[in-house]
Amino acid sequence: MSEDHKNMWEDLGLALEPHDALLSVLGNAYKDIYLSQKERPQGMVYFDFVMSEVHGLRIRELLDEKAHGRKIIGSYCVFVPEEIALAANATLVGLCSGADFAEDDVETYLPGNTCALIKSAFGFKLGQVCPYVECSDMIVGENTCDGKKKAYETLGNLVSNLYVMDLPQMKSNDGKALLKAEYTRFKKAVEALTGVTIDAESLKKGIETVNNKRKAIHRLSRLRKANPAPISGLDALLANQVFFYDNPARFTESVNKICDELEQRIEKKKGVCPESTPRILISGCPMAVPNWKFPWLVESAGAVIVGEESCVGERGTRNLTDASGNTVDDLMDAIVDRYFKIDCAIFTPNPDRLNHIAEMAETYKADGVIHYGLQFCQPYAMESMPIEKALKAKNIPVLKIETDYSMEDVGQLKTRVEAFLELLK
Amino acid sequence: MQPPALNMYDRFSEDCLMGLEAARETGVKIAGIYCIFAPVELIYAAGAVPIGLCGKKEAPISAAEEILPAALCPLIKSSFGYARTNSCPFFDASDFIVGETTCDGKKKMFELMAQMKPLHVMQLPYACSDTAALQYWYEEVLRFKAFLEDQTGQKIDDKELKKQISLANRIRLACQRLIALNMPGREPLKGMTLLAVMESKGFILDPETYLDQLDRMIDDLETSITASRPVFNKPRILLTGTPLGKGSEKVLQLIEDTGGIVVAMENCTGLKGIYNLVDETLPDLYMAIARRYLKTPCSCMTPNTGRFELLSRLIEDFDIHGVVDLSWQCCHTYHIESRSVETHIKQQINIPFINISTDYSESDIGQLTVRIEAFMELLYGHYHDSTGAKN
Repeated sequence: MSEDHKNMWEDLGLALEPHDALLSVLGNAYKDIYLSQKERPQGMVYFDFVMSEVHGLRIRELLDEKAHGRKIIGSYCVFVPEEIALAANATLVGLCSGADFAEDDVETYLPGNTCALIKSAFGFKLGQVCPYVECSDMIVGENTCDGKKKAYETLGNLVSNLYVMDLPQMKSNDGKALLKAEYTRFKKAVEALTGVTIDAESLKKGIETVNNKRKAIHRLSRLRKANPAPISGLDALLANQVFFYDNPARFTESVNKICDELEQRIEKKKGVCPESTPRILISGCPMAVPNWKFPWLVESAGAVIVGEESCVGERGTRNLTDASGNTVDDLMDAIVDRYFKIDCAIFTPNPDRLNHIAEMAETYKADGVIHYGLQFCQPYAMESMPIEKALKAKNIPVLKIETDYSMEDVGQLKTRVEAFLELLK
Repeated sequence: MQPPALNMYDRFSEDCLMGLEAARETGVKIAGIYCIFAPVELIYAAGAVPIGLCGKKEAPISAAEEILPAALCPLIKSSFGYARTNSCPFFDASDFIVGETTCDGKKKMFELMAQMKPLHVMQLPYACSDTAALQYWYEEVLRFKAFLEDQTGQKIDDKELKKQISLANRIRLACQRLIALNMPGREPLKGMTLLAVMESKGFILDPETYLDQLDRMIDDLETSITASRPVFNKPRILLTGTPLGKGSEKVLQLIEDTGGIVVAMENCTGLKGIYNLVDETLPDLYMAIARRYLKTPCSCMTPNTGRFELLSRLIEDFDIHGVVDLSWQCCHTYHIESRSVETHIKQQINIPFINISTDYSESDIGQLTVRIEAFMELLYGHYHDSTGAKN
């Protein structure tokens, strides 16, 4: 760790000692979970580097951008349109919410039965260990679930720059109109923040940049259909996680480079595991960095994850935004259309998600689906019931698990996963 | 001792059920409702009768948990359990069900319930102060109107709607008059005594008759309890938070068993809805309805500033000594909002506050009794000096 980084963190107001402890835990976890994998694509070296500098060089870059007048917008959700941020010459980054931190402190602000992801967002803020939060000029919350919606009211007292957008809960014409009104309001807020007026050209360019990022991930996803699997689920998840942090153009290039390599692997029938390895589709709650616990458990039990039906995964990236419009209004409509398709469990009813899971299971030739729920996340817990029923009716084996970020249930989860894999053979 | 004027509310829902069967035979449609966001004026104007459905007892919860996740609030599990086991006669009698997207649990539960009965879900916007939100909710009110007309085969005309708006407003005003009896200056009615009247609002077959009875009952009460008594002999409690009723009244009961008196309830069973009236001067009746309901200070709204204002007002008007905030377990919106309520009460008003998170079961009665007793003692200490006089 260079002294430079320390000074930077200090200037950002991070609590250095706990932050050092956090980085050391993360570094060790990364080594154990990621670097110990066999037959990794060489291109993953880039992501190893990104992760080793996720609180270092990447923050330095963001601070440089800020020094040149660019604004940083932090977000917790895939409903926050990156296209709009980019068009206003701002950078959108995901904020930390994938590990427990300052738990005792968090419970003075939130009830114990709040999901781990929300508690984590608070923990990183209260513990002063998330450089992304600290360097954000605007933090965007969104009324997705009950927990987040109400927690943002409290978060608003802890940060000075929280902006909250409302979201529709139904996919009706009125619902779409509400989303459009909210995105228009967001656009104005971003313009006010940056002093940049978004025009058709900048918006188009923003859309293209984000689409390219998505297309690279689509390409990676397509390659995961191959058997033997050319890349582990853990590594593919990492690419999906870094999607939220990295410079968009560099990310796109790096993912494409890995894809070139994977294509060669596929041609040589080379994979990260034998052809007979059980193939698993994960569906459910998002896994934010560094929440690698469950995929690590699944893959170390002898399976390979071939897809993520998740916000950090295909739910978040599968649709492109139509860039063909020529006016700001047309392009804004295209953005609304694109985001309105996201089949998050907050929508009622949400049949697209069920269809998408079944479709993914088929496309990626999954032998079984594991529904991943974070404890106390009611929307996904509620959907898991009909999903389990529907998949079983299609003869697709399903395992439903609920967990959090702690390691207490690893033994029990491992037993259940192993039993499930046994069943698939 | 219950004033005799209240006796008619003891078996109100049972009597309603009898009347309901008779009404159905004449072709009246029954709308099963779960929430005070359902615009009752519209339902009556369509010639249907809105009836509050069961969801306040522990018994059907185990049947619900065969399908629903356990980590849901008891109200949702109880409601679904009743429906699933055909043990709520009002659900059985309902021709259709009205739901709202108040919380994640209910919203997703209605998806499953829609397989049992025709069900309409109204989507609430959560940013209640925003003009886009009001416009959206207005459209939802119109969409509900169309659903009602489709279900009842009857067009809603403005004259009838105006009449129903006025009736519903007058019922709210009567409730205000009733609860005003608990303001300082006379012996207050117990929360347990008033609960049956509060709950009767969900079982109104004919609003005109109901209003007449309610007005007469309040007249009786006003004459029978005029005598001014010593004002402070028990801590005056404001109960706020999640709704409760017969079957889930344990916290209310415990407060009053341990020496307190719940003079006001800021919840959906109690006063949350009664201070907002539909503006009868607005030309667009549907906009007037939309405005009124969107102001309901439910924790599903963000920020829910209306609740803080209502709490402050009730604490002053009812000379409240302590606030008990009830959160049903796994009700994220009320439970998370509880911290903000606590800060508001302690900092803005500076009276004692306690949050109780529980479910419908009896398993924690011992522990709750200890906590509530301690709270009552604290209040006695807070308001009495050694001679027993109020500070």
